[in-house]
Formats: sequence, C-alpha cells, structure tokens
Amino acid sequence: MAFISPTILALRRDPRLLKLPPYLSALCIFIGVVWLCLLPLNEYSRHTYISENALLPGQVHTYFGGSEQNVFNAYKYEIQALVGKDQKAIYEKLSDIFESANLRPARQKYEYHAAGTTYSGENVYAILHAPRGDATEAIVLVAAWTNMDGDLNQSGVALALALARYFKRWSLWSKDIIILITGDSRAGPQAWVDAYHDEHTSFFVAPLPLKSGALQGVVVIDNALDHRFESLHIVYDGINGQLPNLDLFNTAVSIASGQLGIGVSLQRMWKHNDSYQERLQTMLRGMVSQGLGYSSGPHSSFIPYHVDAITLQAVGDGWQDEMAMGRCVESIFRSLNNLLEHFHQSFFFYLLMQADRFVSIGTYLPSAMLVAVNFTIMAIALWIRSGRPPAPKVASTMPEKEKTEMEIVQKDGMTAITPKENLTILERQLFLPVALVVSLHFLGVIPLYVFINSSRNTLPSCFLLFTFLNLILPTVLATSIRRHTPLTPQHHLLLQSISLLVLGMFLATLATLNFSLSLFIGLLSTPLTFTGNPFSSSVDAKDVFPSNARKYISTLVLQLLSPPVVVWAVCYIWGADLGETLAEAAFGWKVNGLWTQVVVWCVWWPAWMIGGVLVN
Amino acid sequence: MKRFSCILLSLLLGLLVSADPDYKELLNLQPLNPASLLASFNFWSNASLQSYEQQHFKYIPRSLGQILQHAKTRELHLRFTTGRWDDESWGARPWGGTKEGGTGVELWAWVEADSDAGSFARWVTLNNALSGLFCASLNFIDSTRTTRPRMTFDPASSVTDASSESLFLLHGTLPREVVCTENLTPFLKLLPCKGKAGIASLLDGHKLFDASWQSMAIDVRLVCPEDRSECSIEMEQTVDMVLDVDRSKRPRDNPIPRPIPSENLQCDQSKPYAGNEACYPSDANLGQSWTVAEIFGRPIQGSCLAGDPHSQLRDSVCINIPHEREVNAYGDVVETKNAAGTSRCFAIPASKPFEIVLSHIGPQTFNDVSQPSLHASRSFTGHGQERGGVQTLLTNPSTTSSIEFVYFETLPWFMKPYLHTLSARLATSSTTSPDIIQETFYRPALDRRRGTQLELLVSVPADSTVILTYDFDKAILRYTEYPPDANRGFDVAPAVIRLLPPFGNESSNSQAPVYIRTSSLLLPLPTPDFSMPYNVIILTSTVMALAFGMIFNLLVRRFVGADEVEGWNLAALKAKARGRVTVLLDKLLGKGKEKKIQ
Repeated sequence: MAFISPTILALRRDPRLLKLPPYLSALCIFIGVVWLCLLPLNEYSRHTYISENALLPGQVHTYFGGSEQNVFNAYKYEIQALVGKDQKAIYEKLSDIFESANLRPARQKYEYHAAGTTYSGENVYAILHAPRGDATEAIVLVAAWTNMDGDLNQSGVALALALARYFKRWSLWSKDIIILITGDSRAGPQAWVDAYHDEHTSFFVAPLPLKSGALQGVVVIDNALDHRFESLHIVYDGINGQLPNLDLFNTAVSIASGQLGIGVSLQRMWKHNDSYQERLQTMLRGMVSQGLGYSSGPHSSFIPYHVDAITLQAVGDGWQDEMAMGRCVESIFRSLNNLLEHFHQSFFFYLLMQADRFVSIGTYLPSAMLVAVNFTIMAIALWIRSGRPPAPKVASTMPEKEKTEMEIVQKDGMTAITPKENLTILERQLFLPVALVVSLHFLGVIPLYVFINSSRNTLPSCFLLFTFLNLILPTVLATSIRRHTPLTPQHHLLLQSISLLVLGMFLATLATLNFSLSLFIGLLSTPLTFTGNPFSSSVDAKDVFPSNARKYISTLVLQLLSPPVVVWAVCYIWGADLGETLAEAAFGWKVNGLWTQVVVWCVWWPAWMIGGVLVN
Repeated sequence: MKRFSCILLSLLLGLLVSADPDYKELLNLQPLNPASLLASFNFWSNASLQSYEQQHFKYIPRSLGQILQHAKTRELHLRFTTGRWDDESWGARPWGGTKEGGTGVELWAWVEADSDAGSFARWVTLNNALSGLFCASLNFIDSTRTTRPRMTFDPASSVTDASSESLFLLHGTLPREVVCTENLTPFLKLLPCKGKAGIASLLDGHKLFDASWQSMAIDVRLVCPEDRSECSIEMEQTVDMVLDVDRSKRPRDNPIPRPIPSENLQCDQSKPYAGNEACYPSDANLGQSWTVAEIFGRPIQGSCLAGDPHSQLRDSVCINIPHEREVNAYGDVVETKNAAGTSRCFAIPASKPFEIVLSHIGPQTFNDVSQPSLHASRSFTGHGQERGGVQTLLTNPSTTSSIEFVYFETLPWFMKPYLHTLSARLATSSTTSPDIIQETFYRPALDRRRGTQLELLVSVPADSTVILTYDFDKAILRYTEYPPDANRGFDVAPAVIRLLPPFGNESSNSQAPVYIRTSSLLLPLPTPDFSMPYNVIILTSTVMALAFGMIFNLLVRRFVGADEVEGWNLAALKAKARGRVTVLLDKLLGKGKEKKIQ
C-alpha cells in the first residue's frame, strides 16, 4: 500500500487523468450493453427452481373433470347468452350461479375518468370461506368479463364459476378463496384491489361489502377462445415493472408443463426453440414491458399491493380443453393452499428468457448501473474541470521554459513549497446552473400535467404541438439566457455536471426499482455525456465550446433522441396509434398509479433540455 | 299409549326438577338451511363447595379441580375455537355467544390474590398448569398477552361476599393456536364417561375437526343461592360445531369429492341447451336428510352412567326442526315435543346404541334462524410495512331500537395505535359523530411488557352501520423476536363485543349476556430476510479480522526511519562485512604474529 499511494497521489495532478473520463464513460456504456447481451448465455442465466418447499407443485392429483364439464358447458351457454345485456342482467345471472353453489355474491361499482373517457363497470365476486379458516388469509381467482384485447372471456368466466362450485365441495382449503369476475381487465381489478385495501377514492369506486383476510396469491384465467387451445401464455408483469414472486411463476410453469403437459409461453413468444436469439428476444420483450410499466393483464393491479399474481391465457388452436386449464388452476390453488407464509422465498427481481430460465438481480443489475455510472463519472470530471483555471498560454516562439511560480505554504508548523498553479481555486459560479437544472426539473410537470389531463381527441394534436415546441425550445432557452447573462465556459461545465449528476443519481436509484426503465432511459441519454466538449481539461473557452461541426452533429443527435421524437418513433415501429398510447399512459397514471411518464418528463426531458441548451 | 307417554314424561320432568342430579348432558341438533347442522353438546356437573374444598371429587374432575384450588381461581372460562361463525346464513350464535371464544385459545379467570402482582403470579401458575392439562400453548400467555378488562366480562358466579374485593379478572388470548385432536382428548377425559358412552361418544376428532366452525368451552363457577346457605361449584363443558352435511356424509374411506357421474347430476331441464352435454345444476335446495351415524360416524353408544337411577334423566338429544318434518328414532326412546312446534327431544336409552334419522320424505322445512342483533366485521386497511389502519363495521339490523355494546380489543405491543385517530362515523356520513363512542377505557402498550387494551362503550342507532377506524404504526422487532414462519405475519386477537341490555330495560340485568367476536387478523410486519443475519455475521467478521490484523500489525511492529537502518545499506553492509573479515583475519594473523614473537 505504502508504495502505491505516492504513485496515486502523483497521478492526481496528472493532466492525462482528466482526459480519461470520456473514455471511461464510453467503456461503462459498452460493458453495460455487452453485459446485457451476455445474460441469455447458459453461463450467466440460471435454471428456475422452486424455492419455497411448501408449494409442492404438481404433487396432488387433480379431479376437476368428468361431469364438471357439463356444468362448465352450461355456464358457458349462460355467459354467451349475456352478450350485449346490461350490467344488471349480468349481475343477476352471476349471482344466481354463485348462489346455486352456496356462495354469497357481492358487487362493486366503479367509474374512472381518464383522457376524456369514462371507464365504468361492475365487479361481481363471492368469497368461499375456508371450511376451517378464520378469514385471515385469502387467495383470489379472477376472470375478467372482457380480456385485454376486449374479447368476451367466455370460457374463462365459465371456468371460474365451475371451479367455484367444485372448490366448494373440498374441505381442505386453509385460506378463503375469492372468486372475482371483474367488469374489464384493467379498471375493474384495480378498483377491486384498491377497495380491498381501503385505498380507493370513494367518490368513484364503491367500497367492498364483503372482505376476507390478507391476499396471498392471485391467479387470473383468460380464455376467450371458443375452441380447444394449444398452450398457456403466462403474463406476469405488474404496474411500474414490479414482478410477482418467481415461485408463483415457477409453480404455474411446473404444473402446466410438468404435471399436465401443457406448453407454456411467455412474452408472446409463441415459438421458442431455446436459441440465443430467442432467449434474448424474450428477455428484451420482458424488459420493454417492464420498462413501460403498464398494466399487462388483470393481475397487474395486484402486484403493487405486494400480492403476487399471474395471468394464465389460453392461446393457439390445439387439443387442450378447458378442463385441462381448470385442472391447472386447481393444482396451482392446491399449491397456494399449502403456503404457510406469504411468498418471500424466491426472487422478486428477475428477467425471464424462457419458461425455465432466468437471471436474478445480482447478475443483471450491473448492466443498468454501469450505464447510470457513466453520467456520474462525467459529472465528477466536469466538476473538477470547472474549478481549474485556464492553462497558461504557452508562447509558441519562445522555446525557453517559463519558470513556474512557487509559493510557500505553512501548515501545522511545517513548510512546503508548491507550484502556485496548484493552489489557485477558481470560484464556481453555482447559482445559474443550479437554478436552471432545478427549474427545468420542475418544468417537467407541465408536459406531465398536459398529457395526463388532455382528452383522448386532443392528445395527438397536443403532442404534435409539443414536439415542435420541443424542437426549438433549447435554442430559445439558450438565447434568452444569453441575452440576460452571458454563459461563461464555467457555467457550461457546471450546468452539464449538475445535470448529469442528477441524471446519474436518478437512474442508479431507478435501476433498483425498475431496472429496464432505468436502462432504456440511460441508453437513450448517453449522447448527453458527450455533448459539449468532453475532452476539455479546464474552463478554457476554446476547450469548452465545441467546434461548429461538432455542435451541428450534437444537435442532430439530440433532436433525434428527444423524448417526443422517441415516443413518435416507438409508436411508428410498433404500429401503435399515438393518441391511443398517450391515452393509455393517462389511464395508467389516473387508475393504476403508473410512474413511467414521471420519469420521462421529470428526469429524462430536463436532462435532455440542458443538453440541448449546451449545444446551442 | 300416547297419553300414557305424556303422563310419564311429565312425571319424569317433575323428577328431573326435584331430583336435581349432579350431572347432566344434552345434545342439541339444529339443522341450518341449506346444508349445515349445528350440534351443541353440553355437559353440566355440580358439586357442593364443601365437598370441593375437601377434595372430594365426583363429577368435577380432580385434575382440573386441584389446579383451580392451587391457583386460587374462583371462576374459569377456557375456550378453544376454530373457524368462523357465518351469521348471515346461520343466524345468532348458540348460547348467545357466551360459550365461544375468539379463534385459537381464549382464557379468562377470576383469581383471588392480595395485589395485582400476586394475581398475575397465580395467573401464570394457572396458565402453566392448564397448558399441561390441555396440551395447548397456554404457558405463552405472558404479560404482553394478558389484559384486565373493565367492562367486558362480569363474573358469572352469583357471589358477592367480602372476598370478592380481592378477586382479579385476567384475560388472555392465543389467536395463533391451532385447535386439534390433542386438545379434544384431554377435554373428553374430564367427562365422567370419557367419551365412551352417552352423547360424548359422538365426539370423534375426525368429525369435530372437519366442522366448519367449532368451539370447545369449559366454564367453572361458584353458585350460591340467595341466602348463601349452600354454595356449589358448577362446571360446564360445551362443544358446539357446525357441520357441513354433505361433507360429513361422505364415507371415510372415500372422502374425495370427485365429480359425480353425469347421469346423477340434477339438471335444470328447462334450459334450451339442456341435454347437449351441458347441465345447469339445480341441486341447491334439496333440503337435508341424515342419520346420526352418517353425520358423526357412529350412533350414540347408550347412556352415560347407565347404572345410575337418574340416568334416564341425565342425557337427552333434542333436534330443533318443525314438527312436520319426519324424524325417526330407533331404540327404546321417549320422545317429547315442545308446544311451539319447533323442537323435539329424546331420552337416550340406557345401554343400547341410539340412532336418529332425519328423513328426506316430506316438506323440507327448517326453523327460522333468529337474526343476530349486531353484525361485526373487522379488517385492516392500507398496505405497506410501515403503518396501517383497522376498520370495524358494526351494523345494527334492527329497524326500531338502537343498540349499545362494549367493544373490547387487545392489540400486541408491536402494533402501536394512535388513539387520536380513533373515530366512529355512520356509514352514511363522512364526518365523525361524537355520540357514538360514549366511553373509552384505554391502557397503552409498553414495549415488550404489555399490549394495548381498548374498551369502548359504543352505541349504534337503529338500522345503521357504524364504521370504527384507527391508524397504527408497525414496530420493528429484534430478529430473535420473530416466531417461526415469520413471513406469515402476526395474528391479532379477535375483538370481543358484549351487547348490553336495551336502555330502559335495566331490570332485565339477569338475562344472559350476548357476546360477539370478530375474526382475527393477520398483521404483516417488516420481516428481515433471515439469511441476512448470517451474511451480516460473515461480513462483520471479515471486517473485524481485517481491522484487527492491521491494528495488531501497527502495534507490534517497530518503525525505523529508512536512513536509520544501517544493515541494509549495501556499502555499509560491505564495510561491515569487510570489518568483520579484517577482525577475523587480524585475530588469526595476530595470533600467528604473537606466536612468532613468542
């Protein structure tokens, strides 16, 4: 140690060290991306396993079948007959069916307003009391009346009702079973779970007349098909990228594929033959869905309440009938019934790349962290530079070396002679940069507010207007600032430093909460690290202000990667309607408590705006 | 013949009153619509205080009696309860809720002592002894789980002598305790016939613990007549259970509820799709029919204490069902029907198995269930690991009269309620009404020493629902304080509600009190990952080892300036070596010289 430290101390003043950060930042980004691409390899991902021993998936014999098929068929006819009827008729029929199974039905009305649209409906549910239970724990079986695509979930609802009748006969349930038929797939479950925890806004969402204990697990049945299905598609993403415990997913996979021989797919990867590309694609799809954080099914609303939930969706045309799906649900419920504790054993942070392969947070987190760290490194470098006076002019014609001015320093009774250059500290003019960064972060509230509260019809035009405004806003801002106070090179450095510091800090924090969102925002903002002049070593105007060519390229890159342009591009690539997407986001904010747009408008957009001001 | 039996019966009833045997047992069967059956077993025994104090035990079991005497317990109430009473379908609770406890084990007793501390010491003695007797974790009722209710319980003993001033009421609950066969066996052993004969022979663990709701109760109390001439000790053992008739009728060797063959399905043939492999079930209201042997697995094995002259009077089976229903009893039995037309009783024959059959022939009618005078449900609100809230809905179904009751809650110390957030409002309004909570008794918790005790005197107006809410904080426990399976959460004992007699009807104080208990709650607390302590231990050990190594190194090593070290200078080393060599050579040569000189 003792031999190394003087070397390091000597290096501290080395001008070469200040040239290093841009390369280091680029290296961080590069390693971060490569790291992500390595994850699907066998060496870096792991086979899934059941961590909670109590679950014992697939260890029970399932009996759902036989004459239950006739009951199921009858319920399906009843539900098909209800198409186009009003809520009252639906409630009456459902409560009839619940009552015939000796279950007491209850209903809950809800109404949400988002993006100028009203989402209203009614949830009908019944609680099957655990025969020997004491109402402390419950598991929920959900079937939405219409699924995520808006189709009538005919087989799903009929199956839930038939299962309710079948479950009632068993005496082995240790937890209450709540059979919930929600009005739709997004607002209904949210209204129900909010009211269950008394977190609803009572003006629009009615309280629940019947309640049970703590929710331990949720399984959603989604089967809108009128024919036999081929495989089960398991959807597991929650709001804001939160995920259910991996044990629940594993239980479903091991029961479906291991016990019942039903194929399992995830993230809409209908064909998956375990190649590297397909693993990577599955993982990236999972990350996109996690990053956007929207509701991907009725189960999504439960996850923020720390209730683990998944959706089983029947897909394809094959030879599996609804009874097989019913047996799958039965077996999952028997496993959940075994649980002594709340799900806690397995991972809550993971990326799945196949039904039986995953990477855990310890393995994937460095990727997003490295991307976030690149901003911090650059921010620190810029801070140091902002305090360094310009290098003394080196006379080109005079070969003789000017003598360095020395100064005598006395401290603690000791005396030392040091070059004067090392001792001069340039005072940092902090007010303007800090004020600008803070105010821009608060200004992010304006687009956030506008896009949340506009109606569905005005959203596309609003967004178009905003995109054009956003195009010229950095220039306008830069000129208006310059008109009042000239931006010194130090201001430039400090502005970029503080902005990058805040961005790096936000993204590093976000990486632990929503890895994918942090990574995507991080990658989209990487140009911000290299705008301005990343190779300057002090507050020298020549060093700091980039050349014109560089300026134009930077401006072009920044404009191409501005938040509104990225939104347009994403909508174009996925073939999504822009208005629809924005209305979705507004709905997510109002109903589900979706935070993605907050990150976009209050973290990414201000950082981008400062980058734009700097290149102008 | 019928008239004769009536005369005989009245004679017998007269005898029953006059003879007043010291032991009685009664089984009350009440079919509940649609497919449940409430079976209430009651065993009553009696002994004079004199004989009890002289340790002369006959029907009162010696094992329990001696424990009570040792712990100076005047009155004891012990409850083992599992499941939940579904008052929406089953109506009011049996015995007015006085013979049931909250989920798990509940115990309260009046103990004679000189002081609070003395009473607690005796209470601990009592708990430890009962814990051994009933194979229950009663010894875990420590100071944090013990409360001293003020308004909720009144002594059932009709004694108010001078010593009552030194009586202390203590109450404890174990909501997490699982009630099972090991508690039933000692319970049955306290009976004179040990469950071998009489109605107790129906108490089979398989059936009792398959019930939808079940409660076992033991009450011991001192009863004195008005003139205090001859006090006696009364003990009552009660078992109530609600059986699911369909489930109980399943044969024991084939208990799995497989789907029934499709040809046996009861289908609604009026549906347009009927028959097309689709069957809309229409079997909901088929009524119920059973035999005692079907439901309980065996018939009643004769009468308990058959040799006793009063045996015919001691035990009887009653079934609460309208007279138009056909009930057949097999064996040499005497049947009594009550005048109201709602129940009939049978005396159990002395030594023969006895069987009752509720026939499926005839109208499937049931007695109307009496509606409970209050519905109570309690649940947690909010989520997260830091704080939460409790919400209790109290509904008064009566359209004419308001209802007053005592709401008693004990909370564990790690659930810290904020009393200022306690509010009661009508469900129809959003503001707090001050006249709902009339009196509050609050004893705050002390960390790790005692729990919160909250007793409220609440009044609910007619035909309305009161919402009682308060907020609480969750404490963080030390990691050794977590129980096994810590992630399950912590059980919070049910609230006890004691209904007070209607206002202006004070004279009816003598009428039996009515109790209601809410279900227990599961409180999730912030729980550490229990692999964490080991990681922490490993990490801290490593850091400690490194720190120790460095400091030790610094302390033990002698530091010398680089210029002070001569030995390692090459020139010095050379010079030194040369000097040594010279000295050596000198010695050798010098000696030689000397020799030469010599």
